[in-house]
Amino acid sequence: MIELRNVTKRFGSFTAVDDISVTIPRGEFFGFLGPNGAGKTTTIKMMAGLFTPTGGEIHINGFDIVKQPQEAKMTVAYVPDQPFLYDKLTGREFMFFVGGLYKMEKKKVRERVEESIEHFEIGDWVDKRTEDYSQGMRQRITIAAALLHDPKTIIIDEPMVGLDPKSAKIVRETLKQKSKEGIVVFMSTHSLPMAEEVCDKIGIINRGKLVFTGSQELLQAYKKDLDGKFESVFLELTK
Amino acid sequence: MRTFVHILKYKLISFIKNTFSPRFVTAVRGLGSLLVFSGFSMVAYALSYEITKYILEHTRIGLFLFHRFVSMMLFVFFMAVNMGNIIVSYATLYKSTEVNFLFTKPVTFMQIFVLKFFDNFLYSSTTLFLVAFMVLLGYGTYFGYPWFTFLAVLLFVLVPFMFLSACLAVLVLMSLMKIASKIGFRKVMMLVATAYAALVFIFFKLSNPIDLVRKVNVHYPNVDFLSREDPGFIKFLPNNWVADFLYYLAKGDLVHGIPYAVSLLLVTAAVFALVLFIAHRFYYRSWLATFEFSAIGNSVEAGRRMKRFDFRKNSILPSQIESLLKKEYFQFFREPSQWIHLILMIVLVAIFVLSIQNLNLSLRVTSVHTMTYLVLYAFGGFLSCSLALRFVFPSISLEGMAFWAQLSAPLNLRRVYVTKLLIGVAVVLAIGLLVGLATNEPFVRMTERRPLLRYFGVYSSILVSVTLVAVNLGFGGYFSNFQEKNPIRVASSQGATLTFLVSLIYLVAIVSVISAPLMKYFESLFVFLPFDFRVIIVPGTVFGVISMSLTAFGLVVGLRSLQRDF
Repeated sequence: MIELRNVTKRFGSFTAVDDISVTIPRGEFFGFLGPNGAGKTTTIKMMAGLFTPTGGEIHINGFDIVKQPQEAKMTVAYVPDQPFLYDKLTGREFMFFVGGLYKMEKKKVRERVEESIEHFEIGDWVDKRTEDYSQGMRQRITIAAALLHDPKTIIIDEPMVGLDPKSAKIVRETLKQKSKEGIVVFMSTHSLPMAEEVCDKIGIINRGKLVFTGSQELLQAYKKDLDGKFESVFLELTK
Repeated sequence: MRTFVHILKYKLISFIKNTFSPRFVTAVRGLGSLLVFSGFSMVAYALSYEITKYILEHTRIGLFLFHRFVSMMLFVFFMAVNMGNIIVSYATLYKSTEVNFLFTKPVTFMQIFVLKFFDNFLYSSTTLFLVAFMVLLGYGTYFGYPWFTFLAVLLFVLVPFMFLSACLAVLVLMSLMKIASKIGFRKVMMLVATAYAALVFIFFKLSNPIDLVRKVNVHYPNVDFLSREDPGFIKFLPNNWVADFLYYLAKGDLVHGIPYAVSLLLVTAAVFALVLFIAHRFYYRSWLATFEFSAIGNSVEAGRRMKRFDFRKNSILPSQIESLLKKEYFQFFREPSQWIHLILMIVLVAIFVLSIQNLNLSLRVTSVHTMTYLVLYAFGGFLSCSLALRFVFPSISLEGMAFWAQLSAPLNLRRVYVTKLLIGVAVVLAIGLLVGLATNEPFVRMTERRPLLRYFGVYSSILVSVTLVAVNLGFGGYFSNFQEKNPIRVASSQGATLTFLVSLIYLVAIVSVISAPLMKYFESLFVFLPFDFRVIIVPGTVFGVISMSLTAFGLVVGLRSLQRDF
């Protein structure tokens, strides 16, 4: 479960995220949308523990990310918008590295790495150093590494950037499957069709404020009021 | 030409905006750099003037022998500029994202090469140039040269001399790229290191300073003919041309001096033309070759092989520590600019350690012994400062943008910090202890094996190494730049210069603290009085308190830097 209570983030006089509150229960797939610079990545970075909120509280699976960061992070898989990896490590080494950080047993890491290699179809190049990887390869390694420790919550920022159609399908199916298994998925995306297809609930952020939160049903109602397109609803809410 | 000027204009704008940004941190960094460079300049000037005066007026070795020693110093300087340019130009000419960007634009290969060549020359030689100029100023002031002589020597001798060294460095590098694509990068680097070591050895073997002193003593003052007896190999070295030019300038015999300067200018121009010619033929191909040998070194088969410290192997360490240590190991040893530089520094330390073992301490004068000890001690400390700056300061920045993986993991950041601290301490302390013990050993032998100085060597090495690592790691975190992948650039940034200043101030403080008890110790030895050990209690405590305070400050700054937003 993810709970954001009156979360605010300021950088000097600029307020990037302004008093956001949202609760995402177990097993829900939450789509987080918004125009560029709206505050999506800032919100996600606060949830992942990379930014400290200026105000409010973030609880992940019952743990406060500021006060109990290690307990909270132990239950989370975070995938950043830019899949930066250690250039001098191979993809396999990076996965082992991340597995170690999550205190996984070596035997378990070995098994999970082999499963991930097969699942994400990365066996042909997983033993090359990541300095020669394409954006899509990096993205796949990042997602595979994030899911190694069987997280209860997945926080994923723009997962489809740089992925070819086949990889995008694998990632989409994986996230849907995880949601069905009872895992919370918090996904930021620019892709409206994908959000419509996979998300149970959608949040739209604009200029740091959450301007819409609701289920697919509520979204359908909004769409009917306009021209029946999600794009029109999005543009209306973010203008 | 328009394109070239256009790119240059924007590089200049970028440089000015970065250097003169109106932020507090930038101002502090700028001030720190200014202080360090001014300090270095003043010390270089004063030392050069005083040494020239001392040698020529007190030891009276004469102008000829003095300039032969100048020639040897210039040879070392030439090699330093050369090696610095080789290391930096690899990153500048072949690994720079700017080069990758420019290759996709309608800019010719030659324009890119010339741009990056000068970029590299200015970047890697500026500090050495400043030091060399101040040394020249100190030397020239002794001879009372007018300002236009300095200007002429600067423009027509010093700059071409350094430029020639840089040109040769790039020629060597381009050849290396060609060979490396065939036999592998590591083998080529080993070959180059051996070749350079052999060159230095042959130079000092042929220009044997002891033999030279003996000959000068026999024939003084009619020693000019000795230059004609130089081995052929030495006559063709540019350091010899500069030294001979300076020799004739000092004698007021410009007619004999100018041909050396002209030779230097002509050869520099010819070598630069050769560099342009080779670059025209080969730069783009060698740039492509870097991808080739990177691909060879980064094959799937190589990656699959089980390696030492492989992540797949079991470990007795806790999993988080194991992961962090293995990552540090692979990151360091898979980055040539890291391990090559470490080997170079170890070689320097070895030369220092071996050379002080033959120290002649038979003259039992308290002030001379104290001064000799303090100079050696300060030099040893300076080596540790350089080591910490080069390898510990960049350590947090080199995590790069991939640091998110650690920051978002259930990892106590103190653990990350302590791991880096311990690695840094292990390297700096090992070398610091070696230098500390080696520096003290000749003095221990002189005192009929009284072990006090040996104990001090150990105590001092531990404190100084831990303090320098804590300061460099802490400040490295505070001034971290996660965008910069080149460790050499991180270690020569303004933040690094400020850190170096702090390290040097610490070193000066320690040298001041130990000087009084040290003098008392030597005094008691030479007048055969028992040494009152209470004399060392207060300075020893002050030494410890300064070191521990600075260590604590470094730790706090570093740990807080890890808690910043990423």
